[in-house]
Amino acid sequence: MNAVLKRVNTVFMSLVACVFLSPIVLMILTSFKPEAEVLNPSSPIPKHWTLSNYQYLLGWSEEAPFGRWLLNSFFISTSVTLLVVLFSSMAAFAITRLRVPGGNVVLGIIVASMMVPGQLFLVPLYLMLSKLHWLDTPAALIVPATAGGFGVFMLSQFMRAIPEAIEEAALIDGCSPVGLYLNVSLPLCAPAVATLGIFTFVGSWNDFLGPLVFMDSVRSYTLPVGIALYQSSYYTEYGLTLATSVLATTPLVLVFMAFQRQIVESMSSTGLKD
Amino acid sequence: MTYTQKRSVAGVLFLAPYALSFLAFILLPIVVSLTLSVMQFDMTAPHSTRFVGVHNYQEALNDDYFWQALKATFGYVILMVPGLIVTALGMALGLHGMARGRNTVRALLFLPGMLNVAVTGILWQWFYNGEFGLFNFILKRIGLNAVPWLSDKGHAMPSIVIMSLWWTLGGTSIVLLAALQQIPKQIFEAAVLDGATGPALLNKITLPMLRPVLLFVVVTNTIAGFQVFGQPFLLTRGGPELSTRGLVQYIYETAFNNYRLGYGAAMSWLLFAIVAVFALVQYRFLRRSTS
Repeated sequence: MNAVLKRVNTVFMSLVACVFLSPIVLMILTSFKPEAEVLNPSSPIPKHWTLSNYQYLLGWSEEAPFGRWLLNSFFISTSVTLLVVLFSSMAAFAITRLRVPGGNVVLGIIVASMMVPGQLFLVPLYLMLSKLHWLDTPAALIVPATAGGFGVFMLSQFMRAIPEAIEEAALIDGCSPVGLYLNVSLPLCAPAVATLGIFTFVGSWNDFLGPLVFMDSVRSYTLPVGIALYQSSYYTEYGLTLATSVLATTPLVLVFMAFQRQIVESMSSTGLKD
Repeated sequence: MTYTQKRSVAGVLFLAPYALSFLAFILLPIVVSLTLSVMQFDMTAPHSTRFVGVHNYQEALNDDYFWQALKATFGYVILMVPGLIVTALGMALGLHGMARGRNTVRALLFLPGMLNVAVTGILWQWFYNGEFGLFNFILKRIGLNAVPWLSDKGHAMPSIVIMSLWWTLGGTSIVLLAALQQIPKQIFEAAVLDGATGPALLNKITLPMLRPVLLFVVVTNTIAGFQVFGQPFLLTRGGPELSTRGLVQYIYETAFNNYRLGYGAAMSWLLFAIVAVFALVQYRFLRRSTS
């Protein structure tokens, strides 16, 4: 009886997974349809496969420079990820390993600041960025993003767990603080650094409100904001919008498939720490 | 210089880049936001800038649009949080009981969460479209009436919630599944030996053991729910008749379409206060029922 139930459950959950996946499959299939077929849902599989949507996308049109948006997104997300990993790991190293005076108070303030919801920063940041003349430039999305406290908090927890004997040995061998950071602490934290990098990249890539508020001209948009605004003004070209959506999603799905274990494991542990 | 002094100097230098960024883009904005909230600050009328005390806060409390936006936000949270917890718990139990293929199904459930909110919105706008949308096409095919998914006041918010469930269910299920897997098997085995069956096991063992994680999931999702913006903004632009325009969208429009930064900042703080109160109450309430 129990075995039968288990099998029924397995079949049911597989069906659920298919239902969850179907919108994404539909998006991919439809992006290969010619425009005339797009709005006819009677056959999900294209009758005439075409690459025309993708060809149009990669050409640089004035009103919808998809290639440009893609480059903007890549540049911004990569810069944010590198800077966040660098700044956060240096700060965590200073607090936990170099035991900078007042470090634990600083860490406490950082963690407390994580309670303040993101929407509260929009209005003051807009004003500050406009004074700095950073609005409508990538700096508006890159520099403020380095201030988030999550990375410092997470890496501090991780670095604390490294046995100090390892570092003392390195110091006795004449290792400088920079050498200790680069050759000992950072490599030992590699899994945590990778997790932080993945979450930061995905978060930045998928940020919607930030670029919507801080970017003004069509050329500066990131991909998500670009397609959302393009779609609301050129509603009819649906195949094109879906092809852009596929392009916007592909890098993340690749990241997800490559780091699936890591992502799922760090998600799992979020609820358990309490 | 002694070794300790050298280490402190190095520590300060290592901390400096992050610390500067934190001061400039976390602490300073909080100060600026508080200052703005007690000022009249309209970017279209710079000469009228002046200190107005609690006026912006009073204006919000007398603003019908503010209350309407708050109502829409509540409407979202009240549908979304219980809906998410119940379905995610169901998914986690289902995943836990799978004979094989658990990791694949878990990954597929999570996959929509990797999509951008814009992509999700565009996709579902097509599904929900009244005339040529996929859902109404299917409904008509099987002989049912078309549903005004997004164009009717009663349907719009539930439609937004359904999309949000698809988008975020995987993440919450993963968290709950991980907690389920931590419950020692012996407890169940002992209960089964004592004659306990399915519902009793769920009520007396699984749910109590999951309390701390459920608390975490309820609080974090409530906080996130109060800040909902992208899903209604993309699906309905807040319509029909502003019925799905939440507080963040109203703040966004006040500050960045009408350039009333002072009023926008004040409403941000009110939203923060509401969220904090709710999170605290839930925390207290659920904590107490644990012990």
